[in-house]
Amino acid sequence: MSEDALRYDAIVIGAGHNGLVSAGYLAKAGKSVVVLDAAELVGGAARTAEISPDYQVSTAAHLVSSFPRRIEKDLKLSKHGLSWATKDMATVALDRDGKHITLSSGRKNDQLTIAAHVTRDGDAWKQFDARMRKYVKLLAPLLEGPMPEMGSEVPAKLANMMALRLEKLGPADLRTFLQLMPSSIAALLDRNFEGDLIKGALSLDATLGHHTGPHTPGTAFSLVYKRALEAMGQGVGYPIGGTGALTEALATSAEAAGVRIRLESPVIQIIIEDGRTRGVQLEDGTVFEAPFVMSSADPKTTCLGLVGARHFEAPVATHLRRIRMNGTTAKVNLALEGLPTFENFTDKEYGGRLLIAPDMGTVERSFTAAKRGELTLEPVMELVIPSYHDPRLAPMGHHVMSIVLPNMPYAVDGGWEAQRDTLMKRVIDTLREYAPDISHKIIAGELLTPPELEDSYGVSGGHWHQGNMSFDQLLAFRPAPGMANYKGSVDGLYLCGAGSHPGGGLSGLPGKFAAETALATEKTK
Amino acid sequence: MTERQGDQTLSGDTIDVSRDSPLNGAGIAPDPAWFEQSVVEPPFACHVLTTPLHLDAASESKTNSWTDWAGYTVADIYTSVEQEYDALRTRAGLSDISPLVKYRVSGRESVPFLDRLLTRTVGALDTDRAARAVLCAGDGNIITQGMLFRLADEEFRLVVRSSHLDWLEQSALGFAVQVEDVSGTIAGLSLAGPSAAKVLTSAGMEKPEALSKGQAVWVQLGGMPVYVSRTGMLGGMEYELWSDPSDASVLWRRLLDVGHRQGVKPVGAAVRDIARLENGVALEGVDYLSTFTALDSADSRTPYDLSLGGLVDLERTVFNGQKALSVIAEKGSARVLVGLELDLADGAPIGSVCTGERRIGQVKSHAWSQSLQCVVALAVIDASALGASDGFSVETGSGARRPVKLAKRPFLRFS
Repeated sequence: MSEDALRYDAIVIGAGHNGLVSAGYLAKAGKSVVVLDAAELVGGAARTAEISPDYQVSTAAHLVSSFPRRIEKDLKLSKHGLSWATKDMATVALDRDGKHITLSSGRKNDQLTIAAHVTRDGDAWKQFDARMRKYVKLLAPLLEGPMPEMGSEVPAKLANMMALRLEKLGPADLRTFLQLMPSSIAALLDRNFEGDLIKGALSLDATLGHHTGPHTPGTAFSLVYKRALEAMGQGVGYPIGGTGALTEALATSAEAAGVRIRLESPVIQIIIEDGRTRGVQLEDGTVFEAPFVMSSADPKTTCLGLVGARHFEAPVATHLRRIRMNGTTAKVNLALEGLPTFENFTDKEYGGRLLIAPDMGTVERSFTAAKRGELTLEPVMELVIPSYHDPRLAPMGHHVMSIVLPNMPYAVDGGWEAQRDTLMKRVIDTLREYAPDISHKIIAGELLTPPELEDSYGVSGGHWHQGNMSFDQLLAFRPAPGMANYKGSVDGLYLCGAGSHPGGGLSGLPGKFAAETALATEKTK
Repeated sequence: MTERQGDQTLSGDTIDVSRDSPLNGAGIAPDPAWFEQSVVEPPFACHVLTTPLHLDAASESKTNSWTDWAGYTVADIYTSVEQEYDALRTRAGLSDISPLVKYRVSGRESVPFLDRLLTRTVGALDTDRAARAVLCAGDGNIITQGMLFRLADEEFRLVVRSSHLDWLEQSALGFAVQVEDVSGTIAGLSLAGPSAAKVLTSAGMEKPEALSKGQAVWVQLGGMPVYVSRTGMLGGMEYELWSDPSDASVLWRRLLDVGHRQGVKPVGAAVRDIARLENGVALEGVDYLSTFTALDSADSRTPYDLSLGGLVDLERTVFNGQKALSVIAEKGSARVLVGLELDLADGAPIGSVCTGERRIGQVKSHAWSQSLQCVVALAVIDASALGASDGFSVETGSGARRPVKLAKRPFLRFS
């Protein structure tokens, strides 16, 4: 059986950013690695493609906010073609009357732009931001490595560090932190701010892509966690050539290290023998063998689909089955004839991350609509104009716009086929309120609905982060209780996708930590 | 003014809700059921369940003493403990075991499903054979235990003490297998005692004594198909008869009638409890709790704690509880179940088990054994105290301490 089988030291399933990071680290440690992916191109959800000829855009994920410098250096990505178009994008909360709030790393200016709306909010922002930074520091050690296994002894070093950090917060900040943990972002923002626009923007930030609304308990923590993840990275931005350029650099780097990347090779089964992985089987019957298998597919697909529930103890299978993966994010990409005119926009704003969320009510209503399987009347969105920093994405003078639409139901009433145009119209109507000339500038556009994202990227439920990132599915509970150590409960299986700690976003951290765990574990065997 | 108007509406005719009422537009007559008063049920209504043998048990009962078994009302004592015990241990006793929970497991992947569900493999189990089955949760504690019958190649019947369909369905995820609760479609009778085989012979079964332990066979008793198995937990010669609920009453009557000469008597739950204690069997809900029922995990037990390690096969593919049990097997049990014999003629209530001054455990169940002429008890004690040199004692209700000795289970041995 194994004569004509292909043998490697490790198999990585999925050529997305996490899979490629894993492969890169394994190759660096001297392992022979094969990466298998069903798609025709590398990249997974971080891929650059054409909307129409000559107009290129990051098809799904469009921003890199938490990719660590460490990984970039370790895998020598700049040598393999990675260069950043921008790394310090401002966050702009769009205002219909042109009084936008522009938040960048300059704290003084942030305060002023917020105070221009509601005077008191300026000071409130100063305090809020300072406190957020403290919480981020508090969480940081938890994101810097694998989580300790639940039930086992927490490493004394980590426990001491956390205890020390909590103590250092001081009683007042500790109290507000404990109060924050179960709070909704709405409650937190209402405690701190008065202005609708700032609250709308921050609540969108906290809930973006998580199938939660501002009033959902636990969303305050989501904001802290998001910021903590961003703190692991090098600032919000994107590489030249879109997010696809990042995964291409990862692929080139991996191949240079000897990794074989085999595309159009859909894995249908992870072969288990005597309670251990033996290899994988492709749809066409080809068998690859390796002592261990890393899967960057989502935990449900990996464990229940590729491995099979029978290879897990029933409680583990049940935990896996219960992972909440409600994909509610859609993506709209537009090719534009010229830069749309936003009132009072400067260079910084055009090159920024634009948020359309006029107030928390609008964000909440869009979530409520998604819960009911309806399309919201006023979509909220995060948009960027990637061609502003990277003009090569579009012909001279032309632009592309990339829009993330949260709170879009996976199964919409009436079906997506019938509702596509309605959604497109609502998105453009909303955009017109801020940039009235946009409709005249659209040359082409595409809409990717949650089910289409599921199809294209193989994530069950179409969830970008391979599982909702709420407190009950983070840290030691990610992807499932008792599995936070990347080991997939079956010997030789490692989960290296966004479904693992520390979670989604183009960070590469799950890939890195899983590879390190695998190397350490397999060495001792 | 407004008040009077209000009065008028109130005192006016009741609203006409009939089909022809002008209040109703064409074709939208209200369903009269909407206006019927629903039967109000108290929030914690207790549904008393009866077994198919309830009326027969009632007619045999001289004491009207009943007890609850998994929600079913069953006879506790028919005549007197002494008479029933005497019948069970010297002649034959017939009892109703219908409240046991029965699951039918069928389908192409029944064997791998059961392998993963139970602590040992079932592939080697022959058709018409039964084996003890232990279900463990992920933490290695026992969920429930019972017997697994193989009815056909791909059909099994799992008979356990408590209902865990949810767990079975969770475990069935990913297997081509069907799990059904068939408790209501099968009645169970237990016939135990030295003359049990003779009673069965008189009832029309050929060579019941040829049935080996754990074996089962379909027979016709008076025209009724009955699945007779050589299983049970009372010790000695015992059979369990599984039949259609509608036949159960006739079967019961027939066994009592034909067994009259052998002295067969109905036996209630009280004597069954004494008998299983003499046989050294720990009972779920009494000596330990199912890990799903235990509020304190210290009340639940692993198979090793109950000396059922022989039923656990660790060296094989994954099964529920494997990881936890491997750890426990290496570390050893912390608390174990032991048998105690007391020379205590009055059978006073007993509590803590002590060695020297140290309390090391708790007596879980105890009974006066007429055959052994002593009190037999099951207790859970610290494993570390097992080798204690001071000897063991138990506290009685009055606080006095009586010496006890550890005894091998089963207490009562049959030749």
